[in-house]
Amino acid sequence: MKPVSCEHESSIIRALHSGEWSSELRRHASECPDCSQALDLAEALGTVARRAEIGCNPPDPLWILQRSHRMAREIAMRRVTRLLAAMRVLAVVYIVAAALWLLRGYAATQYREVVSSMHGSSAGFALMGAMAAVVCVAAGLWPILRDRSEAS
Amino acid sequence: MEDASMIAAWIAPEREQTAAGEEEGFRRLYEATSRPLWGYLQHASGRPDVADDLLQETFCKFLLRKTPPMDEAESRSYLFRIATNLLHNRKRSRDDAAREEPAERGVQSDQDNRLDVQALMRHLKPRERELLWLAYVEGMSHAEIAAATGLGAMSIRILLYRARQKACEFLRPQRIKS
Repeated sequence: MKPVSCEHESSIIRALHSGEWSSELRRHASECPDCSQALDLAEALGTVARRAEIGCNPPDPLWILQRSHRMAREIAMRRVTRLLAAMRVLAVVYIVAAALWLLRGYAATQYREVVSSMHGSSAGFALMGAMAAVVCVAAGLWPILRDRSEAS
Repeated sequence: MEDASMIAAWIAPEREQTAAGEEEGFRRLYEATSRPLWGYLQHASGRPDVADDLLQETFCKFLLRKTPPMDEAESRSYLFRIATNLLHNRKRSRDDAAREEPAERGVQSDQDNRLDVQALMRHLKPRERELLWLAYVEGMSHAEIAAATGLGAMSIRILLYRARQKACEFLRPQRIKS
């Protein structure tokens, strides 16, 4: 079965780039049709590559560095903004639920009864609400605190 | 050697970077890799303006990476991988092939060779251009090309052989001897 390319091809290309040719490798490159073809192509492409590099004007590395810092800040900002948006939605849901619960309670009982009932089962609901609020605040603060600790 | 150690110190994650040290390390890496990377992007995309955009994008993504420490060779390989991914993303999102233009950047001498190779690059498929460039201009091994392109190491050998045959058939009447 014919191999797809000569096993010495990589060595030939490495020698072309490093300039370190052994006499055996040079002889092989001139005798092997595969390797001489690869060598010719590498030389043709290399010439064009070197000339293209002359015409290349890459931007200042400092500018790239500053741009990457800006991008990092934007990514962190987007991450936090997404979480805050989710927290906002949760807050709206929480407020609507709480308002509905209060309205329902107000409609069903007199004001004094509402106040007195806070000592009973409603106290448990109030405690759960407070805990949910603490969880929301902690979740909102977590990415900010994490980014700050990474930066320091 | 001094450059290599400076770059290695800069790319270590546990580094204690001062702003000046960070800038100096990046500057050296950038100077060593930006032109070859631009050449690759320009010849793989066929458009200097795309190469300009993607070069900046590549380095920004490299700086934003969260990867284990890399030496200079690994950083270079990683940069080519990012560049290749960006080329593929761009190709997926737009039809650049229809708007390809010959690369002209103010170089006058060896006009024939340049035009032949430019014509060759337009003749080849994007994947073939990438493989030929990485193998013959950058001198990457099959494993390195596989890492940069996301292809299997075994298929690189066959794909590269086919791309070379196609290139040589195109150039044979003009320059390349078989």
